[in-house]
Amino acid sequence: MTEKMNLKEIEKKAYRFTFQDGIYDIMFGVLLVSFALAPILREVIGLGYILFLVIPAPLILTLGKRYITVPRIGIVKFGLNRQVAHKKLVIISVILVIITLILLMMTITKTFPGTLGTMLDGYAVPLIIGISTIIGMGVFAYIKDFPHLWIYGLIIGLSIPVAEVLYKTIGTPLNGIIAFGVPGIVILIYGSLILFRFLHKYPLPKEEMSNENSG
Amino acid sequence: MKTQDKRAIDDVQPLTTVDKVIHEPARLNIMAYLYVIESADFLFMMRQTGLTFGNLSAHMSKLEAVGYIKVVKEFVGRKPHTMLVLTEKGKQAFDEYRKQMKQFFNEI
Repeated sequence: MTEKMNLKEIEKKAYRFTFQDGIYDIMFGVLLVSFALAPILREVIGLGYILFLVIPAPLILTLGKRYITVPRIGIVKFGLNRQVAHKKLVIISVILVIITLILLMMTITKTFPGTLGTMLDGYAVPLIIGISTIIGMGVFAYIKDFPHLWIYGLIIGLSIPVAEVLYKTIGTPLNGIIAFGVPGIVILIYGSLILFRFLHKYPLPKEEMSNENSG
Repeated sequence: MKTQDKRAIDDVQPLTTVDKVIHEPARLNIMAYLYVIESADFLFMMRQTGLTFGNLSAHMSKLEAVGYIKVVKEFVGRKPHTMLVLTEKGKQAFDEYRKQMKQFFNEI
């Protein structure tokens, strides 16, 4: 039993080691800032603003891991359990993104079915989006085994109804800037600090190491 | 020979048959990591074990010489990488080592 527990801890340590670059944190920070800027971008470039919502975050993750993380800490492939979990995650993420985008479009265009749009003084839909985001991100965090994601899911989930509340008092785009922009910038700064610490702790390896790794 | 001395010798004997290749702390660390993951490159193992490049190289060579690990060259993206994998023989040896150590600590 003790041996199994220790090996589990070793595997968990190795797995969580791959998250200490701050890339995921920066990604979520950028995502929130994108949401904050969405009303302004919509005014400037029309429906094309959706590209600014969906492209930067995955791009940061992919490029960050490839050009910053891997050259500094190497590559690891985890066992079957993690690989299966990762595949589930991809499927769940795609479904969540599609549902969220549909709900967001319905919010923007005010095309809700039945009386949904007017329930709870019009807060029903943002609340539904917020709760489903929290649940979805919670599932994501559980499968990914990345504790920060719970908090980020909560922040994103709460920002949506908060933005709606602020919309009725201060209007757009300030509501988005405050509801999404402020936490987004805080997370971005936090992620950047983690990244800075990571770069300092794990400099690029010397040439003999690079040659060994390249075969 | 007194019964106590004989018993002490019997307790120690399992340790004399333990796999000396695995029993070294650095190599035990390497084997443990490779046991729980599918594969990793040199740099990752260096970061995890805290060993220097030369030190890790030397231990890897010993493990490879006895057939416990194998070096696999594969492409990640378009870049070739040298990945380290625990062989079936290595897994069995590690399991046997764990069993022996558990037995030893249970008996003392």
